[in-house]
Amino acid sequence: METVKDVKDALSARSRTATLEQLASEGRKKVRLIKAEHVAAMIHAAVHSAIETSGLVPKEDADRLVARSRDEFRSLMREREDELSKLAELQDALETRDREIERLKNELEAAQKGMPRGGASGFGGSDQGSQAGPQTGLAAAGSPDISAAIEKLAGSLNDRLEKLGKKMGISAAVEGEEVKFDGLFKDTGKTLESNMDNIQVKKKAGGGIAANLERLKKLKGGG
Amino acid sequence: MTDNHNQNLRTADHVADTEVALGKGLDVGTANLAAAVQNDEGGITVTVERNAFLDIPSDVYSKNMLTKLKVPYVVHNGKLVVIGEAAFELANVFGRETRRPMQDGLVSPNELDALPMMKLIISKILGEPRQAGENCYFCVPAPSLDVDNNVVYHQGLFESMINKMGYTAHAINEAHAVIFAELAESDFTGIGLSFGGGMANACIAYKSIPCVSFSVARGGDWIDKNVAHVLGVPRSKAAYIKERGIDIRDPKSREEEAVSIYYRSLISYVLTNIKARFESGKNMPSFTQPIDIACAGGTSLVGGFIEVFREEFAKIDFPIPVGRIFRSDEALTAVAKGCLVAAAIGES
Repeated sequence: METVKDVKDALSARSRTATLEQLASEGRKKVRLIKAEHVAAMIHAAVHSAIETSGLVPKEDADRLVARSRDEFRSLMREREDELSKLAELQDALETRDREIERLKNELEAAQKGMPRGGASGFGGSDQGSQAGPQTGLAAAGSPDISAAIEKLAGSLNDRLEKLGKKMGISAAVEGEEVKFDGLFKDTGKTLESNMDNIQVKKKAGGGIAANLERLKKLKGGG
Repeated sequence: MTDNHNQNLRTADHVADTEVALGKGLDVGTANLAAAVQNDEGGITVTVERNAFLDIPSDVYSKNMLTKLKVPYVVHNGKLVVIGEAAFELANVFGRETRRPMQDGLVSPNELDALPMMKLIISKILGEPRQAGENCYFCVPAPSLDVDNNVVYHQGLFESMINKMGYTAHAINEAHAVIFAELAESDFTGIGLSFGGGMANACIAYKSIPCVSFSVARGGDWIDKNVAHVLGVPRSKAAYIKERGIDIRDPKSREEEAVSIYYRSLISYVLTNIKARFESGKNMPSFTQPIDIACAGGTSLVGGFIEVFREEFAKIDFPIPVGRIFRSDEALTAVAKGCLVAAAIGES
């Protein structure tokens, strides 16, 4: 297929397009047509023939090479298809997990709504559970299970994502230690002769930043 | 520099006293280095120096002359290295190119021996820490959309440099610093844009929290490079044309026309990329109210910048409602100011 495409590209690059009127005006009444596939087949046959007649590669070896290349190509195609199918499976699994998490979250929210004020702020607090009524007790008893389930699901999801990432050539890289560049400044400036100490640099005055700081503090809840 | 800018910045004759809030802000820019500190008058003092140098043959006469002219120099590898704004002026006089420690917003791989010079400039504008380990927030660019750059190395390098000076260094995204400086009225919600020498940085924040930050490796230097190319002049000459007070809406000569064309192209490029990021939907917040866009950075100082920005903005179908589009009154120092806000909050 690639050969035919290459031949088509080569033909396009080296040929011109002319209308029937143009050809007629050039005095041509008939034109011969040939398909790019036929040109490719001719080239293929010519190459085979050249290899055979050159005596460099025996015909059997040439045939064997062609057959082996075809097998290899098919095998690679199969592998790629398998990978794509696994990827699709993983994505399905992830979507299923997402749906499960969403469902459990909804259940959790429904359970929390059933609790009186104050009880919704924490999970598994024995004091809160014991002070609440029967409905709250049920929610409090159910909450740790749901939380555990969510944590488990999240862990599983992370594993799946990690596998998916590795499949795609990415993995959850762990940040290493901060790179230190202190060595670049060893002794710099110590031996440099300069008149910088005697030069006054230009200074400009600008508007204050008190209003900005006040706003920022308010945003951060400190004002 | 614009009249508006001049109205809002006045020259201070004295160094700030030490009895003011701690924390310093540092804008590590490709074209300029700026340090901001709170002063005892309730305002801020910003020290700015051009991030460039020029080497000339070293002799006693030149040294004395430079000192008399109050031109800062360093003797490095047997050469006299003129530092800062003076290097830029001398380069124009001699028709030479300045050497630049930074390129495209990051430490230049071609000028690694310039680090000692840069350290000297930073230490001069930053001064000594008023207390051991005083917070110093310095800006770093966001990763670029259009080039593969190493922000980690750049950040680590300046962190180490500033720590060695006795401060506690913290990095903050450059455009996020613009939001801290300029969008207080909008509760730090909106888009901050920093048009620097090497890059244009963008940050979209919601209530001071940065949602998305990115940069494009085009800035004032990109304009200079292209103008120099089409006019056949050195880049420093192109920078001079750009900075001599032109209005990009009304170019008066072929040179100004070239500057105007590339400015418009830069603005359009940045806006198109912001729009594309919003449309990609990745990690993008959805705003129910119109948000403001604040522009800052030395490249935005040219006359007519914000008007051309608004014109280009009107041409694109921006995917979210936008309220005010404005340029900071202190465009050159807004990033340093934003870093100072972050440092002051860090100290409080």
